[in-house]
Amino acid sequence: MNGGPSIIRRPASEKSNVELINALRSNFLASKQAFAPMTNGSSHTSSHDTARQIPSQEIPYSEWTAREDGFLYVPSIDFAQSGLAEERSQYDITAKLFFLPHTSATERRGHTQEAIDLVLKELHMPSIDLLIVSFPGVSFDAEDEDEEEPQWSQNGEAEDLSAMVETWKALETLHDKGIVKQIGLSEFGSERLEKFLPRTKVRPSVDQINVRDCCVVPKSLILYAKKEKIELLTHNDCTNILPSGTVRELLGTGEKGAGVLAGPEEGLKGLEGEVEPQWVVKYTAVVRDRGVIENKGYFAMAEVRD
Amino acid sequence: MGLLALGTPLNWPEAKKNADHVRQWGIEQLLAIWERAKGKERDALRWGDEIEYLVVAFDEEHRKVRLSLRQADILKALAEDVSLSKQGGCVPDLQVVKSSGDPVPVFHPEFGRFMLESTPGKPWGIGFKDLLDVEPNMKWRRIVAKEHMESNEYPITLTTFPRLGTRDDFITPYYPPSGERQRSQFLPDEITNPHIRFPTLAANIRSRRGRKVEINVPVFKDENTPVPFKDPTVDYDMHNWPEDDDVRNGAAKDNHIYMDAMAFGMGSCCLQITFQAKNITEGRRLYDQLSPLGPIMLALTAATPIYKGFLADTDVRWNQISRAVDDRTPEELGEAPLKHDRWRVPKSRYAPNSTYISQDPRLRKEYMDPDLVVDEDLKQQLTDGGMDALLATHFAHLFIRDPIVIFAEDLKALDLNKTDHFENLQSTNWQHIRFKPPPHDKDTGWRVEFRPMEIQITDFENAAFSIFIVLITRAILSFDLNFYIPIPLTTANMETAHARNAVLDQKFHFRNDPLPPRPIKPNGASGATTPAYLPSRPPTPTGPVEAEHSLMTIDEIINGQSGEGFPGLIPLVESYLNSVNVDVETRCELARYLDLIRKRASGQLWTGAKWIRHFVRSHHAYKGDSVVSEGVNYDLIMAVEDITKNEGKNRVGEEMLRSGWAARPKGSACG
Repeated sequence: MNGGPSIIRRPASEKSNVELINALRSNFLASKQAFAPMTNGSSHTSSHDTARQIPSQEIPYSEWTAREDGFLYVPSIDFAQSGLAEERSQYDITAKLFFLPHTSATERRGHTQEAIDLVLKELHMPSIDLLIVSFPGVSFDAEDEDEEEPQWSQNGEAEDLSAMVETWKALETLHDKGIVKQIGLSEFGSERLEKFLPRTKVRPSVDQINVRDCCVVPKSLILYAKKEKIELLTHNDCTNILPSGTVRELLGTGEKGAGVLAGPEEGLKGLEGEVEPQWVVKYTAVVRDRGVIENKGYFAMAEVRD
Repeated sequence: MGLLALGTPLNWPEAKKNADHVRQWGIEQLLAIWERAKGKERDALRWGDEIEYLVVAFDEEHRKVRLSLRQADILKALAEDVSLSKQGGCVPDLQVVKSSGDPVPVFHPEFGRFMLESTPGKPWGIGFKDLLDVEPNMKWRRIVAKEHMESNEYPITLTTFPRLGTRDDFITPYYPPSGERQRSQFLPDEITNPHIRFPTLAANIRSRRGRKVEINVPVFKDENTPVPFKDPTVDYDMHNWPEDDDVRNGAAKDNHIYMDAMAFGMGSCCLQITFQAKNITEGRRLYDQLSPLGPIMLALTAATPIYKGFLADTDVRWNQISRAVDDRTPEELGEAPLKHDRWRVPKSRYAPNSTYISQDPRLRKEYMDPDLVVDEDLKQQLTDGGMDALLATHFAHLFIRDPIVIFAEDLKALDLNKTDHFENLQSTNWQHIRFKPPPHDKDTGWRVEFRPMEIQITDFENAAFSIFIVLITRAILSFDLNFYIPIPLTTANMETAHARNAVLDQKFHFRNDPLPPRPIKPNGASGATTPAYLPSRPPTPTGPVEAEHSLMTIDEIINGQSGEGFPGLIPLVESYLNSVNVDVETRCELARYLDLIRKRASGQLWTGAKWIRHFVRSHHAYKGDSVVSEGVNYDLIMAVEDITKNEGKNRVGEEMLRSGWAARPKGSACG
């Protein structure tokens, strides 16, 4: 699944996955409308109007998606048409990879490679500047930072530090190959960082934390990060960015669905089985000396099991 | 101000004879610039702010504060300062080239002899470190300026001096009014910078106009203000100059504060920001997109509630400057049948823009000004020279004006490597957004200047508004935002912005949906991205133009409407910041700035205009009659100087500033 740039309409100060969901949904819709004329033979210059005449639910998903090496691209992507306008040195390219629940460290190492491959292919670039990873359920909560209890245990989905260290090795590999210049974490408090750092070969140069109100960032974390030469960056994403229910809704046959997954209704053909989201990657290319975001988007991967 | 070349200035009758000559050479220079720079590409974002100060002198003994006319001495002291000179000097003429170290701020003369202007020593970039340097740099500039003044003199950033033009000695040293150049019954000629350009500018504007400029500001009606209010400072019995008849011919209107000289307007301080664009295309786009924001930012920065010792019923300076340089003849104004002049001209030289110039498919012909006056011959010359019709129209519109100051020496030979004749017209068209072609001799690109904002009392506020505008431009370019509305509505909005408390009480025409529609995707394209460089542009929108915009409050425009309405400029900026890598400390500092703007728009914090008005009205010596007396003015300027230093931390002025510091708890990243 891929989605283009979109702007969170509001409330912008609250972390959310609205941007991702909107991007995916509108990209699906736009693709369907673009492909609709193929089914009735008119040229695509008038596609917008023509498409409106056909209820989008009636367009079979096979028309606007692509199957390749066991993957279904929703919508289909022509990588030849994307890319950036200027040469590599003009850009700051950042990718943020969201691991999702119920995936193992081994799987995540594979996901890392897949996600970065897609981003590089999309941007037509040999490398990215910064790759940040987000582990599900790891949520830095500033108010708890100075308390005794490790903050992640308060979350339903405790993530095992050893598994994170294992996953981190995939990032270290990309770094060693020169594909990723810097690697980083998100939502790590100072305690967790302290445990994590000694177990890394390539240290994170960035820790990205949510700043609904920056002024609650505890001094302990600021001092620790400074000491360890980790740059604290800000973000506005939620950690569980793509729950499986949301994927089902996006791809299903419901009113807002794309009609890729089979629904209870008869007639339309869709994929059968349980859908399980695997990972989401967000990428941003910013023109360095002008501060302009030239390209921004998402890829998301889900598995359909029979 | 513009170029300060020396020479022999022509008086108006002579200048008028040479106007076509200068226009012609100006157009030829413009075409030369166009040829040279139209393909200029990939310039970085560089931007600069200009802060203008009034220099005031306190007289503690008599509890009086006056404007100091020592501009030249102060600039000389700044230039001569040994330590500064070593670092590179800070007055351009005397600046020594220097390769490393902190660039020293630059100080410039201004129209008023009581004014100073400062700019950063080098332009800012978009690096976030640069953004954090802006406020300290502004503070440093103020300290440097103060260090070169007398101990009782201070650089303050009020838009206007509240008692400029009163009957008492509001300037030091004192000069009597009614000079040959301005012929003002309130101000002496010595109020203006003595550099020959400035008195000539004032004299030729008056001369071209055929009478003195006429500025009537509605007076604020307080409980004891006489009705009708007849400006008691007007002298109907003065007979020094023919122009003294103006008031006997009804120039001073009932219920208005009357002013009669260029210095009443051009003696105002503004906060101006200039951006360098990537190329001409981006520059033209920014020029168009910033235009509708002008009136909003004017109302939001309102800081001008007093003129000539009276509370006014308006909150901003704009129209007063506009009238102070209005050189239109009675024929051009439509007061007399057209005989000698070429056309009626709807706006002053200082006015909101009348053109859109971007070759943007989103620009509908319905947005253009139906009353635009254009010199068709000059436009033809520009298009013959290869310029597209849209941009040619813009410049041929600016060139309907006469050049006001012409130096005899400059008429001898045309130098196409210079831009002086072009700049003569360009820099005396004071519109709220200015599109600036690259100068010849520097590695500077196409630039856009954002000019409507009022200067704020503190450098914290000035930094906040500067940085906000910079971030808005980045959001416009990153998200392909569309703020287009029919340009006459922007002109109407500028008028609306003048009303007392417009920031909270008035509504402004604004585009409902600034976000781009999803692109129509060609078959097979991924469509995951909408880079601006793709040749497949979105089609020109259709549907009624009236449905694209509606009336909104400043709060709605800045903070957003509920539901599916306008998203709000602050949320758009936040969205931009969420999409780029910003470190915690920077984000926190930026949050202080955005918080100020958010709360000014919502009314939780007061504008400078509201605070000043409130200060006067609650002063024990105020008699409820709209008069701002010498004593009240003294305490007001003292309080302003206090706020400049303490930024509300001692509670003086906290109604304007509270959030700037109170929102920062201990132990935080911002502490």
